[in-house]
Amino acid sequence: MKAVEANSITQRFGKITAVDDITFAVSEGELFGFIGPDGAGKTTLFRIAATLIIPSGGRMTLFGLNVVSDYRELRNHIGYMPGRFSLYQDLTVEENLQFYATIFGTTIRENYHLIEPIYKQIEPFRERRAGNLSGGMKQKLALSCALIHKPRILILDEPTTGVDAVSRTEFWEMLEGLKKEGITIVVSTPYMDEALRCDRIALIQQGRLMGIDTPEAIRTSYGRKMWAVSHPDRYRLLLALREIQIVSNPEPFGEAVHITLHEGTAPEDLNRKLENTGIHGATIKETLPGIEDVFLELMRRKPEEKSL
Amino acid sequence: MFLLRKEFRHIRRNTFIARAIIAVPIIQMLVLVPAVTFEVKRIDLAVIDSDHSRASRELVAKLSGSSFFAVAATPQSVREAESMLFAGNADMVLVIPSDFSEGLAGLTRPRLQVLVDAVNSTSAQLAWTYLNSVVRDFNRDVLLSGGSPPGQAGGMIMSSGSMPGLSVLPHYWYNPTLNYKYFMLPGILVILITAIGLLMSGLNLVREKESGTIEQINVTPVMKWELIASKIIPFFIIGLFDLALGLSIGWLAFHIPFEGSLLLFFACAMIFLVAVLGMALFLSTMASTQQQFLFVSYFVMMIFILMSGIFTPVESMPVWAQQFNWVNPVAYLMRINRMIMLKGSGFHDIAMDVGLLSLLATSLLTLAIRAYRKRA
Repeated sequence: MKAVEANSITQRFGKITAVDDITFAVSEGELFGFIGPDGAGKTTLFRIAATLIIPSGGRMTLFGLNVVSDYRELRNHIGYMPGRFSLYQDLTVEENLQFYATIFGTTIRENYHLIEPIYKQIEPFRERRAGNLSGGMKQKLALSCALIHKPRILILDEPTTGVDAVSRTEFWEMLEGLKKEGITIVVSTPYMDEALRCDRIALIQQGRLMGIDTPEAIRTSYGRKMWAVSHPDRYRLLLALREIQIVSNPEPFGEAVHITLHEGTAPEDLNRKLENTGIHGATIKETLPGIEDVFLELMRRKPEEKSL
Repeated sequence: MFLLRKEFRHIRRNTFIARAIIAVPIIQMLVLVPAVTFEVKRIDLAVIDSDHSRASRELVAKLSGSSFFAVAATPQSVREAESMLFAGNADMVLVIPSDFSEGLAGLTRPRLQVLVDAVNSTSAQLAWTYLNSVVRDFNRDVLLSGGSPPGQAGGMIMSSGSMPGLSVLPHYWYNPTLNYKYFMLPGILVILITAIGLLMSGLNLVREKESGTIEQINVTPVMKWELIASKIIPFFIIGLFDLALGLSIGWLAFHIPFEGSLLLFFACAMIFLVAVLGMALFLSTMASTQQQFLFVSYFVMMIFILMSGIFTPVESMPVWAQQFNWVNPVAYLMRINRMIMLKGSGFHDIAMDVGLLSLLATSLLTLAIRAYRKRA
């Protein structure tokens, strides 16, 4: 049985179609990521999965239970963490956790082993009001609260947005720990580097699914050789690359600029052209495309597909 | 129930709200009850005495002798008096014509002219009534001393009023001294619990919406009715507590009589609270921010309270307004409270109102629960 099965899920708000005919499946125990820019429809999709809204069209089941008709039963198995911190700010850390434990008819002690690695870090502050926690600690508390009833699936909507880099890394380590416990995790993120930590990722843009695969497969699906060009004066390099005919889609990526070359041209041709514009000593290396590259390429390709 | 415990925790944590629950009834009772009164205590009278006779001086003395009037000035002309009226230095101008004493002797038919500052029509009305009664009294004295033929004298000074020689002695039942506080206090108690029931509970729910915590609750197996109950019960209890507090203050500070049954009084308040909380719940389902809710409920509350007959008798409102009060819970409790507290009415006397109020409460709560969709 699949943990999630979505069939042609569509959600319209008036004239806007937030989620447009999305079909995907998540296996049990999988760490599945949704990658896409703001407004791509990730939150709407997650809210449908969390039984919070009824989709305008399509069908979704979690562990064979329909999100619309079996929501009552399903709610016992879902741990949902919305993008915005939604715990009671005027209750203490412990009271929040206690409250969610009681709602699900369980106790903190019963499932303590599950939250221990996470909760231990905020336990020293258990008398503190949730509103006075730092961003990273809030995130840990929210995850603890979402886990306290031992859900079979965790639905995490942009859990690391607005959290510092260290806490983000910690957070993903926790998710990997939870995966080992056999919990299915569906997570969304705008950060491409986090996508690499997922078993599989789905690229979503303007409510449409643009591809689902493992991060590796997505990177190799790029199809063309990708070159990383670097030079101390990165800005001048970028401007120059934009002018050179045989270069397509230059995108700054860290220290370098990622490019593809027109067919039949070699890096040596590029180097010559760069020298002509006064850029000497640029290094050109072959590189594996990042998720960003694929994503940006897919975004570029989309309008063309439409016109066909 | 843990949901309830959480609600009370929220209230306790919010020290401002916790204090307001105690302070609001105390302040409202101690300030509003004595302040919001229609009794006109002192009317500044300007007298233009064109007669300068013994009789005219007697009339003025009689007026200033009453506790209501104070002769503030004696201007020389009507024009001067008008400007005083305009400037607010006088509330009322009495013009005694030069043929006043002759009139009393039955020779002419002089007319007293009265100018009243009627910006506040209620106090103007009252001032007029007071003046009327003093003048009528004066008339009677003149008649008794055998000055002039009865009919003439009566018609002379005032065209209104009862037949001379016959005096009306009104006896005000249920509030014998016409103490305005007794009339206002039951009404202010109603305002108190309306505000608490409507605003506090509604804002609480909308706040959960605003902060997103309601979503977090919605993904749990908590049932719709459980959540609604947890939002209603605390404010139901607080409402009753504040009512008891307000009533005790009324009793201690103003010695308000309580004629009827306390049990019946609280039973009716409970029904009313259900209606108000139902309305709060309904309004909160429509609002997505506390600001929206506050604006709408303030508007609703104003209409309900002002139309309920707290200041002006419902009977003197236009027919459509009276019909509106069929669905105005505040109007029912306003009437019920006054009947129980001042008249000592038993259940039998107010059965009709209680029945209709219960019906209203049930339908408001049903409406609210329907509107409150836990899903979507």
